[in-house]
Amino acid sequence: MHGILVDVTRCTGCERCVEACIKVNKLDYDQAGIDRVRAPDGLSANRLATIVKLEDGHFARKSCMHCLEPSCVSACLVGGITKTGQGPVVYDPDKCIGCRYCMLACPFHIPRYEWDSTHPYMVKCMMCFDRIKDGLLPACVEACPNQAMSFGSRDKLLKEAHARIAKYPRRYKRHVWGEEEFGGTSVMYISDVDLEELGWPHSAAPAIPELTEPLISKTPFIGLTVAAGILGINWIIGRRMKLAAEKEILGEDSKSEKLKGQQDGQQTKDS
Amino acid sequence: MDSRLRILKDFLWFFAFLALVAGIFRLWFGLGPTTNLSDQMPWGLWKIMNMIAGVALSTSGFTIGFLVYVLKLKQFKPLVKPAVLIAFLGYGSSCLALLFDIGLPHRFWHPIVMWNEHSFLFEVFWCVMLYFTVTAIELSPTILKRIGAEKFSHWLHRIAFGVVIIGITLSSLHHSSLGSLFLVTPLRLHTLWYSSLLPLFFIISAIGAGMMFLIFVRISYARFYDPEPIFGLRLNSGIKRNGSDVFVGPQFKSLQILAILAASVLGLYFLLKIGDLINRDAIGLLFNGSWESWLFIFELFIAAVLPIILVAVPNTRRSPSGLSAAAFLASLGLVLNRVDVGIFGYFQDAAEPYFPSLAEWGLSIGVVAAAILAFLFISEKVPIFDESWKGRLRKTDSFTYSFDKFSHVWNTILMSGLQRVTLIAVIAFPLAWILFYPPYKSTNQSEEIIRPSIGLDQTRTVLLINGDRRGVKTEFPHLDHQKRLGGEQSCNKCHHIYMPHDHATPCYRCHTNMLQEADIFDHFKHMELVAEKENIRAIQPANHSCNYCHDPGGPKSINNVKACTECHSKDMNIEKGSYCGLQLATASSYLEAMHQTCQECHRQEEVRLCKENLGHCSTCHESLTPNVGDTIWVKKNKPIGDKISATR
Repeated sequence: MHGILVDVTRCTGCERCVEACIKVNKLDYDQAGIDRVRAPDGLSANRLATIVKLEDGHFARKSCMHCLEPSCVSACLVGGITKTGQGPVVYDPDKCIGCRYCMLACPFHIPRYEWDSTHPYMVKCMMCFDRIKDGLLPACVEACPNQAMSFGSRDKLLKEAHARIAKYPRRYKRHVWGEEEFGGTSVMYISDVDLEELGWPHSAAPAIPELTEPLISKTPFIGLTVAAGILGINWIIGRRMKLAAEKEILGEDSKSEKLKGQQDGQQTKDS
Repeated sequence: MDSRLRILKDFLWFFAFLALVAGIFRLWFGLGPTTNLSDQMPWGLWKIMNMIAGVALSTSGFTIGFLVYVLKLKQFKPLVKPAVLIAFLGYGSSCLALLFDIGLPHRFWHPIVMWNEHSFLFEVFWCVMLYFTVTAIELSPTILKRIGAEKFSHWLHRIAFGVVIIGITLSSLHHSSLGSLFLVTPLRLHTLWYSSLLPLFFIISAIGAGMMFLIFVRISYARFYDPEPIFGLRLNSGIKRNGSDVFVGPQFKSLQILAILAASVLGLYFLLKIGDLINRDAIGLLFNGSWESWLFIFELFIAAVLPIILVAVPNTRRSPSGLSAAAFLASLGLVLNRVDVGIFGYFQDAAEPYFPSLAEWGLSIGVVAAAILAFLFISEKVPIFDESWKGRLRKTDSFTYSFDKFSHVWNTILMSGLQRVTLIAVIAFPLAWILFYPPYKSTNQSEEIIRPSIGLDQTRTVLLINGDRRGVKTEFPHLDHQKRLGGEQSCNKCHHIYMPHDHATPCYRCHTNMLQEADIFDHFKHMELVAEKENIRAIQPANHSCNYCHDPGGPKSINNVKACTECHSKDMNIEKGSYCGLQLATASSYLEAMHQTCQECHRQEEVRLCKENLGHCSTCHESLTPNVGDTIWVKKNKPIGDKISATR
């Protein structure tokens, strides 16, 4: 399981990573430049990674966090998004129907849509899955001039993060963003400022599939219970009506014996 | 036919035609140009209002089925067919709108083959698809009987009970799952609406409001077509209503009971909502005065409180109009609730608010209008509400015509339905074209043209460079540079080209585009000027000037032309030729021009003068301050100097 560790204190906001990302993913460079100022956080269908400006002159790279239990993977109704064993969360455009539920489900607002296309797809960072398979670094990690990002096995990166925090306790906040939030992510951050701007929650948040999974796994049983309940109710009522009808016939007979000559339909109905 | 009904149908046709154009535009231009959806608000009007609210309003299909077939309450039997028809058309129109909403409509069948059983949307898809089939099966015996396929309809009757059971099960699953869809957004949806009980809220409110919607439809149908079973003989007989002495028809009683049932379900919904708020400690949010809290109160008021009051008060309950108002409010409240959960609840999270575009409104309303038209058509041709209303209609015949001025003219001029619909189409199509045509995409050219920088004062001591026109200005101490580089004679160190008869031509004159290379060579002007200068005499002198620049005989291309500097060596300052080469036809983008000119010099000076940070972005762009531990990089990534020892 691979991941990326972002050290916010080392990022100068030069956007070389963004440039490399655009180049590697063969995106429209000029449109990306325009989108940068139009999109609220700079992410768009032509910018899969962006630099977000934080408080007092800090910068941080923002793109897909590649959650360990991704909300988008559980949300996609055709199973078009998968969490690979190597770490990246990968999207298969051939399955996509364009429902955009992944965009709603993502807690970090990462997936973007090719709105201007007549044949649109969802777009997001895939941690350069093809490059990783070939043994290369993700483009952004390779491009960073200040080594603000490191790529490697997630466990090692976690150790490295804690080691850095322990080494410079006054420089970093004592928190690794992405260690536990939303069930853990493959892209993690250490920083000296708060990272709420990037979409990290204020306090520990559960993995989003944990909210839906207990409910959806019970769906077939709920359905069967409802069907059985309906049939049961129907049977009981049918039986009671049948009994009532029989009683009615009987009662009618006995009453007609008692009150000969008197014909009152209302009374018999009431009984 | 009733003239009011005619006018209503004309309006419905009008909206349906608008929707047709909007739908074509959506498919032709794509989602971006036609809708106001964005990455911040990926789900808009079509999904929330047409799909989620539309499906919720069609719940009566399964609630009435439950009452009649499972609980065996025979008095609701006349409502079964209308309820099933509402369900069929409600689901049909929702799915139609959804087809336009999804990005790749031709792949709508994908979830049938490709499964992800962890997704609530997957469950909703399957349930909606199956339930739509169920309503079609439930509806088909009536229609088949009308067509004449008695045998088949008889066979369908036999499996009817099983179909009803399946339908109820599917409905109870997907109506709650529609609420579960929003369970994945705990941090994005507003706290007032986000609750782990969302599935429960969705199904309960759908059951209550679905019955209310059926009541509304039933009474409206009676108003337009056949008042007798609901309104009694009041409309025909001319007897005026006085006081509590209200005449009502035979079917109105069951509607009242249904309304009481629906109101009690809505009451349960109301209590659950409030209880949930208290349980989550979010009740305080209800009174904090934000627009969301007011919206929540308003929504709950018209969705539950007002209908319950209207049903509880005997006077309104006993009058068809009063009951119809209560039912309408409850239906409206349900739609508002879905819109709140799906759209308004996300505004606090989205960076920009979302308001649907005209095309979105057009399609949304038009699809519903088309569904109503289909409803009217089917209920006219097939005995849905009552077997015998046509007979009654022929017998009484007294309520058919009520003229007002406009409808009188409208109806006498165009008597046939086809004529009217054609005329409406002729009006609707151009109007829709004007309203919905997506705006032309403005080219970058016009937006990104660079204008001269704003000086702080007349003597140009400091220039404010606001290159991208975003209001963030960068200070450029012009006078300072001029002095340092050697006064008046140093202009050409930066101003590398002077235009003819100009001195120190500003950068923006040639670097006209922010991000792209700009073509600055005016070919036609050169043709004319050369012809004038060389005294060419011809009818079109400009056409004979090619050979002065292009090599005679060769292709007339940029590769086969003499250097611009050959002519312009005198009246243009091209000392710094390295910047622009011999051909001056294109100028690099403004961004590149500004950065390269400054950066190259600054980096050299940084090394020469040993001035830390001079080559860093922060020298000019104050916001880009370097951090502690940064290494400064110059060309080719060679580190120079030590790490910055900035103190913070």
